[in-house]
Parts: sequence; structure tokens; C-alpha cells
Amino acid sequence: MTSTTTDMRTSGAGGLRSWLERYPFLPALVIVVALLALNGLFSPNSLSFRSLTGLLSTYMALIMLAIAQTYVVSAGDIDLSAGATLSLVNVAIVVLMERWGGGAGAVLLALALGVLIGLACGLVNGLVVAALRLQAIVATFATSIFFIGLALYVMPVAGTPAPALFWHTYGGRLLGLPFVFYVLAALAVLLYLLSRTRIVTELLAVGDDQQAAYQTGLPVVAVRIRGYLLSGLFSALAAFCLTGDTASGDPLVGGKMTLYSVAAVVLGGSALAGGWTTVVGSLLGALTIGLVNSLVFFMGTPSEWQNFVQGLAILLVLMAGVLAGRRARV
Amino acid sequence: MSKLRLNGVSKAYGATLALRRGDLDVAAGEVHVLMGSNGSGKSTLCKVIAGSVRPDGGQILINDKPVTISGPQAARVAGIGIFYQELSLASHRSVEENICLSALPVKAGFFIDRRALKARAARYIALFAEVAGEGFHAEALVGNLRADQRQLVEIMKALASEAPILIFDEPTSALDRAQVDRFFEILRGLKAQGRGVIFISHRMDEITAIGDRVTIIRDGETIETLKLSDTDPATVIRLMVGGASDMPAARSSAPAVVETRAKAAISVRNLTGKGFRDVSFEVARGEILGLGGLHGQGQSALLRAIFGTSAVTSGEVTIGGERYNAKSPRDAIRRGCAYVSGDRGRDGVISGRPIIENVTPIHYLRDRLMIARPSSLKNKAMPALAAMHTKFASLFHPINSLSGGNQQKVIIARWLIDRPDVLLLDDPTKGIDLSAKADLFALIRQLAADGLGILLYSSEDAELLGNANRILVFNGGSVTRELTGDDRTRYNLYQAAYEAA
Repeated sequence: MTSTTTDMRTSGAGGLRSWLERYPFLPALVIVVALLALNGLFSPNSLSFRSLTGLLSTYMALIMLAIAQTYVVSAGDIDLSAGATLSLVNVAIVVLMERWGGGAGAVLLALALGVLIGLACGLVNGLVVAALRLQAIVATFATSIFFIGLALYVMPVAGTPAPALFWHTYGGRLLGLPFVFYVLAALAVLLYLLSRTRIVTELLAVGDDQQAAYQTGLPVVAVRIRGYLLSGLFSALAAFCLTGDTASGDPLVGGKMTLYSVAAVVLGGSALAGGWTTVVGSLLGALTIGLVNSLVFFMGTPSEWQNFVQGLAILLVLMAGVLAGRRARV
Repeated sequence: MSKLRLNGVSKAYGATLALRRGDLDVAAGEVHVLMGSNGSGKSTLCKVIAGSVRPDGGQILINDKPVTISGPQAARVAGIGIFYQELSLASHRSVEENICLSALPVKAGFFIDRRALKARAARYIALFAEVAGEGFHAEALVGNLRADQRQLVEIMKALASEAPILIFDEPTSALDRAQVDRFFEILRGLKAQGRGVIFISHRMDEITAIGDRVTIIRDGETIETLKLSDTDPATVIRLMVGGASDMPAARSSAPAVVETRAKAAISVRNLTGKGFRDVSFEVARGEILGLGGLHGQGQSALLRAIFGTSAVTSGEVTIGGERYNAKSPRDAIRRGCAYVSGDRGRDGVISGRPIIENVTPIHYLRDRLMIARPSSLKNKAMPALAAMHTKFASLFHPINSLSGGNQQKVIIARWLIDRPDVLLLDDPTKGIDLSAKADLFALIRQLAADGLGILLYSSEDAELLGNANRILVFNGGSVTRELTGDDRTRYNLYQAAYEAA
């Protein structure tokens, strides 16, 4: 009798393990569902279509930034300049849209240029980290200061508004559905396509064991640079979402978001050491942070305690994720 | 006609010459065996050919045309595939992805062609289908596989390069008989296709079974190339060892027989654990027992198990006549066991802390010391350090300010404040200069003369031959031969190490 129960438990753990190997974001998904339930418990209104849409459009920027971070983390690197890239793209597109009159053409042209700026930031990081072989954590911290300097040059004081056409579109509806849903759908397609590319598999192989990847004949330096290019691209997309949400330019807006993006990657179930990452998990990790923040608000926490409770809640979620992962690895 | 030829290839890492003069000539349709002892330069030679190590000098010719191999990618283009001894696998990727990783099939420029990848990987997985064992399939993550299965993946990866020149650097070390047989069948197939294969193994039976010619490397230099059909294992071993092979160990340094004082310091009966099985021996007080054989045949595992860092599954150990069963190093230290590892960084040095703190931790434990007073500790630490001729400026300098040899002396000194009964030495002179080595062995012999029982594993045969009273040769986790008295020759040591397990 006892032996059968142990057998069942081991096979259960083995089953869980293979599930986790296929879908490493499962614990993050469970946590998001639990947080949604808790939000609903404290304030049923927070689960309304309207509030959820609001949550998504506010945290879409963090989702994008977490995904940007995921691609560099895949290769065992880190990008502490993701938030600064976001700031730079944010002020650049706001200034350009304003200069060019705020019409549809101006908006599209500014966005195209924003993507290029993001890619350029990624290229700088990639060259500094992979080609010059500087420590990723310090080198990207340095480039982040550099990018913020540029952002402050472009827009010394926060507050220039974005053209109404831009943020009306982002916050509005298209064919009866909120625009942010289309953003999410487009992101899903993009992530699906990227997951099937050679570059993502190569990034993961480099993150797994850089020496082995080199000996296999992979172009390790080029692969790591491509990781930073992807990070720059998604940081630019994050800046678009942020601009749509805040409707203005702010040269310091992204600073705080960088470490949130790293936290989201870990909460989502990726390994910071590289080789084992999940973009879906990072998306859920960013949502987790958003839901924790809204939960703290809906619980009626006094404002002076909100940071304290937020930090505590993120720690708890992190522990829950680690415990789930450890159980599965028995 | 030669497929691949190396002329005078050399490579130095800092001051150490890993490869002095590597010559090699591989013909089409042959399995060319490389032989040499640990650290003789075989792997460096292979890595030079595969492009992962850049040579300092010499010439490489493929199909009689000189080539420059600038990196692993260039080697692949030049038609070279390699099995790396330490494996080159991504543990979180699947078997099929690993097999195809160096050239992922792509469609539309960006996307991996999954169907092509599966089809290509399946061809190589099928080669080993009957012998790969349970849990081996195309989608399995490499990190979840057993050691032998991972080695099979690396073989498949090398084969998937479809290169005209293939290098296998110890591909069979973890494989079982059936897997080796299957692999050799495949190698014979490659030979028939006219490919050139370079093969490294430490097992004489495998070498005679598959090899056509053998090139012997000693101390980074190519000694000779022979036809295996015209030679015998004894000749090959003699060439590997060099001229002084038949001389018995220098007698002045270690007496062959200890004037046994009847009492055993430590005795081990049928001890089995992870990495070693059924090991029995007795070490008298005052005796140095050497553990020999190729690297990683269970010597370190045995020493670490005695010291309580890994579990013993069966068998027993007695120290000083008492049953001894250490569950942790702490336990072992209390019972009078000492362990010095060659891997100082991992097992010895308390990095960044002063020398005095590095000398005294064992004293804290054995004396149950609660309060440390530097002045009284200094009186205990100084004689221990002086016994070793340790060079240092002050006891309060960080240990990292010392050279490797002096660091190791500090580590040994920590065991001398309270004398242990048994000293376990796990390749203690790794990465230490010659004069420090001489100091260390002088002290070790002094300790033996004082009545300690000493177990010494060394990857350098000269150290064993020069210091051990007896040598147990390990092969595949068990003792295959005991060398005593005049049998302690370099030749016998090699022969015992290289014969089939």
C-alpha cells in the first residue's frame, strides 16, 4: 500500500517535471491566476473588462521590456540599459512627432526611427559586451547612463505631450476591441515566429555553455550581439506602449523599469544564468508585478506602506516559484 | 596520399609548453590512434586541428595543401569534425537540436526547418537505436540523459558533421561494451568510405581492435608512428614511457618495505561507493600507500568517501582498530583523518582571509575552541608553518597574496597543529612549482616517519614512484594490481593502467 503511494508520487513528480520542461512558465501562470483571484476577492470590480484592459495597457510596456531582457538573458548576458533605451526612444519619438506636426505620416515615420534608435542602442551594447568582452552587468550599466544622457539632451525636462492621434489610438478601440488587444495579438505572433528562428536556438545554446557553443562552431560573438539587437528592438516597442499609455515624453521614465524587467524574467521561470528561458513566462512575470501592485492598491494599503507590501509580495511570489521548481526537480 | 598532415605544430600556455613539436600524418581510410600519457599533448593537438586552440607555430596540410584554421567554424569548412573529450553539448537543448547545432537547417532565411532537422538527427540516432538505452529519444533534453548517453550524443554530433576528417578524443570512456562495439562498426564503415579518423583511447584492447596506425606523443613531442599490425602493446607502452622505463623507482627516496610496526593506521575492507567498488587495503603506521592509474579511475572518489564527503554503500573502514564510519568531513576530522586536495580553490583555501585564519580552522574544530586569541594561536601556527618552509610576510596577510605552492603549504600546515592519524592526499601537488613540490614530499615522508598512515593519489607517476612504499593501480573504479618492491617501475605502472578493465 505504502509502496504504491510512493510510486504514484514519484511518477506524479516525474510527470510534473516533464510538463515543466515543456512549459516552464506554468508556475508563473498559476501565480497570475491566483493573483487575479485575490484581486477579485478584494475588489470584484478589478476583474471587469475595463479594469483588465487598463491593467494590460499600463503594463504592456513592462511586458515588452521583460521580453527584451529575456533574449539577452537567454545567452547568459544581461541588459541594464533596457530602461534607458526605452527612455531615449520615448523622448525621441515624442519630439519627432511634435516637430513633424503630429499627423499619421509623422507618427509612423517617428516610430520607424524609434525602432532604429532601439536597434542602435542594442548594437552599442552588443559591441561593448560581446566584441570588447566587458562584463555585461557593468558595461550595460555604463551605457544606460550614456543613453539617459542622450535622452536628457533630446528633452531636458519631462512633459512634452505626444500627439493626440497616437495616444488616442493606443488607448482607444478598433473594430469594437481595445487597441491594446491587437498589440497583444501581434506580440503573440511575433514571439511565435521568433521562437522558431535559428537565432533564438543559438542564443540558448550560447547561454547554456559558451565554450561548448564556440567549439561547436557557432559564431558566439555575433550571436550575443544579435541578442542585444533583439533587446534593443523590444525596448523600442516597450517605449511605444509607454508613450501610448502616458501620452508624454520623460527622459527618466525607464530607469526604474530595468530591474523590474529583470525581476519579471525570473518570476516567469527563466534562469538568469542563461540557456533556459521562456518569453511567455516573462510576459506573465510582468503581469505578476502589475497584479501585485494593483492588489496592494485594492487591499487598501496605506500609501506609506505600499512599497513595503509590494516588495514583500514580490519576494513571496519569487519563493513560491522557486519552491515549485525545486519540487519538480526531485 | 595523406588526408591530413601536421608538421611541427607547437602551442604554449604562458610558460608551459603544451605541445612542443606535433607531427601527424593521417591517410584516407584509416583509423589513426594517438597515444600518450596524461598531459602529453594529445588533446591540445586535436584542438589545434579542430580550430578551438590556435597554434603558435607549425604547418597544417589538408590533402597536401597548407591551410590556416582560424576557428572551429573554419575547421568545419575545411572538413574536420570532432568529438570533444569534455563534450560540447547544450544541456537544456534536445538531443536532435544538439546533433544539428553547428549547422541548423534553415528555411526562408530565418526559421529553423524542423522537419529537415528531425530527419537529419534521426539518421544518426538510428545508428545507435539498439544500444542507446532507456529514455533516449530525439526530444529528450541532453541534461536529463545518463553520462554514456550524453557521450553518444556527442558522437552523433561529430558524425553529423559528415566531415572527411573525424577526430574522436576519448569517445568510449563512459560507454558499455555493446555501445563500443556498435561505435566501432560505424567507424569501420567510415573507413570504408575513405575518411580519415583520429582516435584516442586509453584502452589497449580498443586500440588494437580498431586502429591501423599509432602515433605516440610524449611530453608534447611526436615520438614515432607505427603500424599496429607490426607492433605489440609492450613496445607502444615502452615508447610512451621513454628511455628510463625499466628502472625501478629511485630506492633512496622510499623504502620498499616498511619495518612494519604491526599496527595498521587505517584498513579498508571491500569498500564500495560512487565511482569505486570493492576496494580493500591496509596502511601501516609510517607507510605511504600510492594510488595510481589513469586520471578519474576512482582514486579521488575513494579518498573523498573515506573523508566523509560522499556516501559509502558497503564495506567498512577501521582507523586505529576502531570501526570508522564518517558521515561528514567534520566527523572524519574528529576521528583523526586529514584530507588535502589538489583543488585548493574548491577544497582548501578560505579565499580573501588572512593566513592565520587559513591555518587554524581544524584546530578550532578539534579543540572545540570558542574564543580565538591571535597571540596564542600564533604560537601554534608558527611551528606548523615553519615545518613546511612556508614563505610569508605576516600571518595577517590574505592567503591570496601567496603563490600556489605556499598556499598549499598553509593548507597542509592546518593539519599539523593537532596531528592526525591518517593523511589523505588527493593529487596534492597540482599546479605547484618544482621546489615547493620537493618541500611537500620531504614533509610527507617526515610525517610518515613520525607514524602517520598516508594515502597518496597523484596524477604524476614520478611522484608515486618516488614516494610510495606500495602502489595500488586503479582501473575502472577497482584495484587491478598492486606494485611493491622492485615491481614499482614506470613500465609496470603504465601497463597496469592501460590494460582493459
